[in-house]
Amino acid sequence: MMPYLGSEDAVRELKKALSNPHIQGDRLRYRNVIHKVIRHMTLGVDVSSVFMEMVKASATVDIVQKKLVYLYMCTYAPQKPDLALLTINTLCKDCSDPNPMVRGLALRSMCNLRMPGIQEYIQQPVQNGLRDKASYVRRVAVLGCAKMQRQQWDVEIDGAIVNELYSLLRDPDPIVLVNSLRALEEILRGEGGVVINKPIAHHLLNRMADLDQWGQSEVLTFLLRYKPRSEEEVFDILNILDNYLKSTHISVVMGATKLFLALAKAFPHVQSDVLVRLKGPLLAACTSESREMCFAALCHVREILRSLPGHFSNLYKKFFCSYNDPHYIKNQKIDILCELVNDENVHSILEELRVCCTDVSTQLAHTAVFAIGRIARTYSEKCVKILAGLLEYKQEHITSAVVQTFRDLVWLCPQCTGSVCQAVPGCEENIQDNEGKQALIWLLGMHGELIPNAPYILEDYADNIKTELSPTVKMELLTALVRLFLSRPAECQDMLGRLIYYCIVFYEKIIITEEETNMAVRDRGLFYYRLLSSGINDMKRVLSGPKSDSSLGVLGDRTEQPVNSWVPVFNTLAPLYDKKLWESITASSGKCELPVGSKTNTKTLVADFQTSLDPETHHDPHDGVTLLSDIAMTSELFEEKMDHSNHRSLLEHRMEEKR
Amino acid sequence: MSASAVFVLDLKGKPLICRNYKGDINMMEIDHFMPLVVQREEEGNLTPLLVHGKVHFLWIKHSNLYLVALTNKNANAALVYSFLYKVVEVFTEYFKELEEESIRDNFVIVYELLDEVMDFGFPQTTESKILQEYITQQGNKLETAKSRVPTTVTNAVSWRSEGLKYKKNEVFIDVIESVNLLVNSNGSVLLSEIVGSVKLKVFLSGMPELRLGLNDRVLFELTGRNKNKTVELEDVKFHQCVRLSRFENDRTISFIPPDGDFELMSYRLNTQVKPLIWIESVIEKFSHSRLEIMVKAKGQFKKQSVANNVEISVPVPSDADSPKFKTSVGSAKYVPEKNVVVWTIKSFPGGKEYLMRAHFGLPSVETEELEGKPPIGVKFEIPYFTVSGIQVRYMKIIEKSGYQALPWVRYITQSGGM
Repeated sequence: MMPYLGSEDAVRELKKALSNPHIQGDRLRYRNVIHKVIRHMTLGVDVSSVFMEMVKASATVDIVQKKLVYLYMCTYAPQKPDLALLTINTLCKDCSDPNPMVRGLALRSMCNLRMPGIQEYIQQPVQNGLRDKASYVRRVAVLGCAKMQRQQWDVEIDGAIVNELYSLLRDPDPIVLVNSLRALEEILRGEGGVVINKPIAHHLLNRMADLDQWGQSEVLTFLLRYKPRSEEEVFDILNILDNYLKSTHISVVMGATKLFLALAKAFPHVQSDVLVRLKGPLLAACTSESREMCFAALCHVREILRSLPGHFSNLYKKFFCSYNDPHYIKNQKIDILCELVNDENVHSILEELRVCCTDVSTQLAHTAVFAIGRIARTYSEKCVKILAGLLEYKQEHITSAVVQTFRDLVWLCPQCTGSVCQAVPGCEENIQDNEGKQALIWLLGMHGELIPNAPYILEDYADNIKTELSPTVKMELLTALVRLFLSRPAECQDMLGRLIYYCIVFYEKIIITEEETNMAVRDRGLFYYRLLSSGINDMKRVLSGPKSDSSLGVLGDRTEQPVNSWVPVFNTLAPLYDKKLWESITASSGKCELPVGSKTNTKTLVADFQTSLDPETHHDPHDGVTLLSDIAMTSELFEEKMDHSNHRSLLEHRMEEKR
Repeated sequence: MSASAVFVLDLKGKPLICRNYKGDINMMEIDHFMPLVVQREEEGNLTPLLVHGKVHFLWIKHSNLYLVALTNKNANAALVYSFLYKVVEVFTEYFKELEEESIRDNFVIVYELLDEVMDFGFPQTTESKILQEYITQQGNKLETAKSRVPTTVTNAVSWRSEGLKYKKNEVFIDVIESVNLLVNSNGSVLLSEIVGSVKLKVFLSGMPELRLGLNDRVLFELTGRNKNKTVELEDVKFHQCVRLSRFENDRTISFIPPDGDFELMSYRLNTQVKPLIWIESVIEKFSHSRLEIMVKAKGQFKKQSVANNVEISVPVPSDADSPKFKTSVGSAKYVPEKNVVVWTIKSFPGGKEYLMRAHFGLPSVETEELEGKPPIGVKFEIPYFTVSGIQVRYMKIIEKSGYQALPWVRYITQSGGM
């Protein structure tokens, strides 16, 4: 390595060395200098200024040197298009070199020069390349056609080239065949891609065995486009491809599965047969040495379970977490285990999940606790027992997750209410986070008549309201106390009065001097104050809503989806993403994002505001239902939103209230 | 498939090598990769697939490197991952160890390889045996200017070149079975599975036809014999050289092998196996003072067999100190950087039972950090033995020149990766 110099100096040195006739004469030294140029390029140093010297270096018989120089050219050609044209001559000459490796290299490099005006030079060499006797060159030339097309979208598609590529599907070399498919797909993108008619489809089916795993996977994808004419033909194809369901390569197995499922669209029994046969290979992939492959396979298992919930039930042990599994795999496995629960395995699965609940990672522990909560909708008694047992660890994050799970559970399964209420007292000592507090307070307010010391726990919270920072917790507390007041008035009256007084008066004082206090808490306080003053009967009418609603469970208990609903996205990136994330990715490519902070018109603001108020939109039906109402809008956010539209009217409103 | 670009990054996320295959993605997008990894790791939801804007990052980690494929298409995830693993495999065969240092030292070959394995985002020739014929380690030395055209680039049998010659024609067959077992704290076996693999090392001239005979139950039932001990294989997978249609028809494993090392087939057995080395442990923790560990290991395999290089690793808390050991056989060592005690037994005959005791001091001030509860791990190797009972009955080698070739068979059972 050359001693460290500033990059400018280094480049100057290189330039000097490259044009030194002594070095040019000594091939070894010359090559070493070229290595240095490439090394600098790799490090991100701009070495485009030696372009001219590198052009000269391309005229060599040393193939490694040629490769490096061409790599350099392709990197800097867009910056120096005029100089790059100087290499065309050498490249063209190399395209007719007797050595096919040189011909291929030159042609590939030529097509990789991404600069305007290159088309007219590469057209002829590419066309010659398509008919070259060496398959190595034909492979390059075929993809060259696609590269050429990409650089000139406005130009009409060359019908002759398309025809030639279609005829190259019959090439004896398997890679030329697959490359032709890929190139046609790229060139004909505007017209729906390469056409797979009956003769082509049958030809591809017959050639499958010659292809490597990449080729097989891709041909299986292209075959998805083919629509067989008769039932007989469908079964013929399925027979021919049967072996690929057992391929060593998981990507081929997945490709074959997708094709089978798509072809058998109209034959549900064939589809379910395919899914049964996929079990083995998919499980093998789930225990593959490559974690990423495991992850992909597990995501697809989850996808299949959406249609066939019990599909892997007897193999549930395969989805137990191993100590070394990374989180993303453990998360998937826990998700899958929830789906596999049945009468026979429920005990073992719950035991496995219970162990995960005490994992070092709090995130994973939460996932496991919530998973038990999901199973609790069917096996409530067992699960509540386990969850209550977890409280004994007296760990903050576990307790919080358990209490949140309890809250959702009593809403969905009122029959658990009794046992949940027995477990709740004592939790308050181990809950510090807002979500946990809210859940506990909600439970105490809603079912306080079943928890003897409920008023006293709430009293603690009420007494410490000054130190409470979260407005949502404060609001939850207000509501809970008012509710509990209805069922146990004697114990609550005094502290409720104190709390409401605190909320209203305290905020009255503050609001004059400071702008950022929470409007929502104060409004809630005022609301209850006015409600109380309008009499107990009105109050009962407003507050006595249902205490549970098992119908909401429908949202969580996913209904079985037909296989055909997910076949189109099978074996793509989609199953690997969280559903919500995937929707946002695909949506954002359709429309641009809302401008932030700039001129936002009132209409979108209102809509935006409503969606954030509407808890329904925040429920993902597949993530389990939480009853967390999303009115957690901070004053800052609220102000910001209002500022744009009706700042003035808000101020007027406040003035009125002050009076 | 279609990967727009492939990057090799160091642990800090700095690109060591990159290749822009398609030109439809801004190469600066890679700058978003590392911050995303860090952020997701903090949130505890790092996945092997990340997204920024419209660009998807599919990545794997190998020693101190990240290999990242970028795409803006809804690509086929399994295929991209297997491509990245293939790249790792190819690089490893070239450089022995694939790591930051070897990438830096061999960047010319890395560029050459990246040029051949993929074009325009599509995988091309990825068989390292074939690549090695025209991209050589000696590339740095200056030799003949006109390189030979490798036959395999255009060959009909893509995995074997013509005209190979050996003085002594031999085939070495290794039957390796890995046992994966998971036992919970009450001693019940949660998971038990055998992953088997038949590996070949081939030194044969010409284009030989090989046929392998195993004591495969399905085959024996087909032919009506059922006297011998047979094995029922599940999930059998073959190297691409094996004629699958023949296996389907009459369970014959026939093939033209690649030259050198390769894995001919792999299989899985779901039969419940007794743990070969059974561990019982008593771990007593006296908070603030000491930790006492007693581990008993029992060889539950045939008396004639011997397990070699047995390594039993017992986790200890990270704040344990002043270790003391007593073993009935072998030696114990404390490995503080991994927080384990490793008990090594060079040779462990079947049916025997050994003991190890360990004593640690614990500090009076406890760490507040929560620690996981890692399992006790056991590593071992038992030669001349397969748990499943699989046997190679014959290996026939036929070449048109009619030479005699010798097959050698070796069996080994080892602990799996879990």
